[in-house]
Amino acid sequence: MNKIILILQREYLTRVRKKTFIISTILFPVLYLGLIFGTGYIAAKTSSVLKVAVVDSSGYFDKGKLERENQTDSSTILTLVNQSEDSLKANYKTLGFDGFIIVPANTSWERGLDLKLQMGKTLGMEGSSPVRNKMNNIWDNIKNEKLGINDSIKHTLQTSSVRLSQKNLNDDTANSGIATGIGYFSGFFMYIILLLYGSQVMMGVMEEKTNRIAEVIVSSVKPFQLMLGKIIGIGLVALTQFALWILFIFLIYNVTGASSKMDASMTTGIVGGMQAVFTSIDVPLIIFCFAFYLLGGFFFYSSLYAAIGSAVNEDMREAQSLSFPITMLVIISIALMSAAMKDPSGPLAVWGSIIPFSSPIIMMARIPFGVPGTVPWWQLIVSMASLIIGFLLTTWFAGKIYRTGILMYGKKPSWKEMLKWAFRKS
Amino acid sequence: MPLLELNNLKKYFATQKAVDDISLTIEKGQIFGLLGPNGAGKTTLIRMITGIFYPDEGEIIFDGKKFDPLNDIAYIGYMPEERGLYKKMKIGEQALYLAQLKGLSKYDATKKIREWFTKLDMESWWNKKVEDLSKGMSQKLQFVTTVLHEPKLIILDEPFSGLDPVNANLIKDEIFNLSKRGATVIFSTHRMEQVEEICDHIALVNKGKKILDGTVQQVKHQYKENLFRVTFASQLTPEHLAVDLFKVIKRNDQELILKLEYANNNEVLQYFIHKGLQIESFNEILPSLNDIFIRLVEGTPVTRQFQEVNQ
Repeated sequence: MNKIILILQREYLTRVRKKTFIISTILFPVLYLGLIFGTGYIAAKTSSVLKVAVVDSSGYFDKGKLERENQTDSSTILTLVNQSEDSLKANYKTLGFDGFIIVPANTSWERGLDLKLQMGKTLGMEGSSPVRNKMNNIWDNIKNEKLGINDSIKHTLQTSSVRLSQKNLNDDTANSGIATGIGYFSGFFMYIILLLYGSQVMMGVMEEKTNRIAEVIVSSVKPFQLMLGKIIGIGLVALTQFALWILFIFLIYNVTGASSKMDASMTTGIVGGMQAVFTSIDVPLIIFCFAFYLLGGFFFYSSLYAAIGSAVNEDMREAQSLSFPITMLVIISIALMSAAMKDPSGPLAVWGSIIPFSSPIIMMARIPFGVPGTVPWWQLIVSMASLIIGFLLTTWFAGKIYRTGILMYGKKPSWKEMLKWAFRKS
Repeated sequence: MPLLELNNLKKYFATQKAVDDISLTIEKGQIFGLLGPNGAGKTTLIRMITGIFYPDEGEIIFDGKKFDPLNDIAYIGYMPEERGLYKKMKIGEQALYLAQLKGLSKYDATKKIREWFTKLDMESWWNKKVEDLSKGMSQKLQFVTTVLHEPKLIILDEPFSGLDPVNANLIKDEIFNLSKRGATVIFSTHRMEQVEEICDHIALVNKGKKILDGTVQQVKHQYKENLFRVTFASQLTPEHLAVDLFKVIKRNDQELILKLEYANNNEVLQYFIHKGLQIESFNEILPSLNDIFIRLVEGTPVTRQFQEVNQ
């Protein structure tokens, strides 16, 4: 037992003191936030106002309507001009426009209108949509006027709609929106951790082979102890890094005054939202289950990754190709998550949350919908038990492969050979 | 009581019988040479002694009791042929880590590391990384990590490979010192000249079987060819040599190499004295271990062949 602790201490300290750890821990949140705020900032600063000339031969579009729209959306400016199409085509640029639109004389408000935005370049679909929206708003105005729809009728049309919310007869507190949000979040979080740190375990295990120190270590400790020490040590590094990331993002968010951009109404809105979250879901249970499934899933997958790491010979490509099936399992789980979330009580969701391969992701997506409302207690217990049995099995299996693989240099073994190692008596 | 007894050990792999019924006894304080060509089964045998592999058949008795890998490995130090240390780890820290894995407390380990580093002139290395060392330096380091915990049994697999003569000598001296202090050393190598210098007892294995076992002197006498070298102060004439007592293999001016078949040494000496020749020296030429090795192993294929194993 002490030896496992010695090993995990060494694994943890070696990784945490490396420059790459510190850099990636600080860099990631900085980059992430930089991306979010930066792109928005750059987009705002560099986009130029699109100036479009409008020639109206129909008489529907008047200056006042265009002015009103220009004031609402200043990213484009529509101006009424009085020229022929040909002369405009020749000199729209010198007049200071980026392009022009000709509204034909035979326009009728009862039929639709096909207009062409003529420019010296081609914009993306997003680029021309503000113009289309403005023209549609003006067109709506025109239609309303012609139909005699006044403001109060317009108001009724816009605000009277059907809103649909859910009520679970078996569970009063369930809230679909919040549950879906938290479910997705947990699922993705789990997915990232499993993939990222699973492969870290795989590379960590290859370290003894690359350094050729495997035999020396294995003459002092049992291979199983070495494997376990590495898995736990790397797991702790993962936890540390995540905790630091959350801390950093929190700090940066507060310090850079991003919080000052929020005004009082937004803050109360968020606080109110948080309260709703806390009442509709069982937070302690979710936290407990999240911790359980994170641990269970991590052990389950990282022991498989460790088995592969011990079997290959320092060649990352071999490692990647052998580990492909495992990575696929995680990806499939995430893909199934969306389908399962449409009906969290349906058979896909139930089975997905019990089978150990997908249960960390899918069960965590289901739980916010309510225990025992959506997830009966028996399902939760069966799922947890099968995950425990699952990771005990994969750890045992990995141990067998590890003890043979780690001393072997030479050709890359196939899955069939590795299975033989697992079942051969040592 | 011998430190290590191997009784009828067998270890078969799918492609070959790596160890096929080997029995050995190693007494305390011996420097024991384990010899054999490539693929003979030496490394597999060693891995069974260090608890890395478990024998298919046979038993290992360590210090009078059945070998218990979990606990006994604290008393064994093993330097494998495949040299390796964590490249990016600092040296002092790594020696400490390896010693603690063997069961030493942090305090004891630190103390012993400092002692050894001073002894072998390695004090300035503590904070350097292993990748900064040359090959000879890293082998010295690996030697230190092997013997740090004062094991009863030290197993060295090709310890001198890649070392320059100065460092090889240093390690050789340390092996002698350790043996004097009571450690038992198993020393596996192909380099016969080193074996003659260092080992008292040897065993030769080939194709998984033991084909020689004895002290160096015993083995040499077993394979001697009754050759003797005699040097004279006086000149030799052909007339001196026309006798049935011996056969002349080689002759220089004042030196003879003779093969004695029936006569014993005293008869030959008396003959020369009787002839009035002044004898300067007379000694037996024992075969070198290298010659014995080649003679015994010759005829087996140069590399180990794969064979079908029916269990």
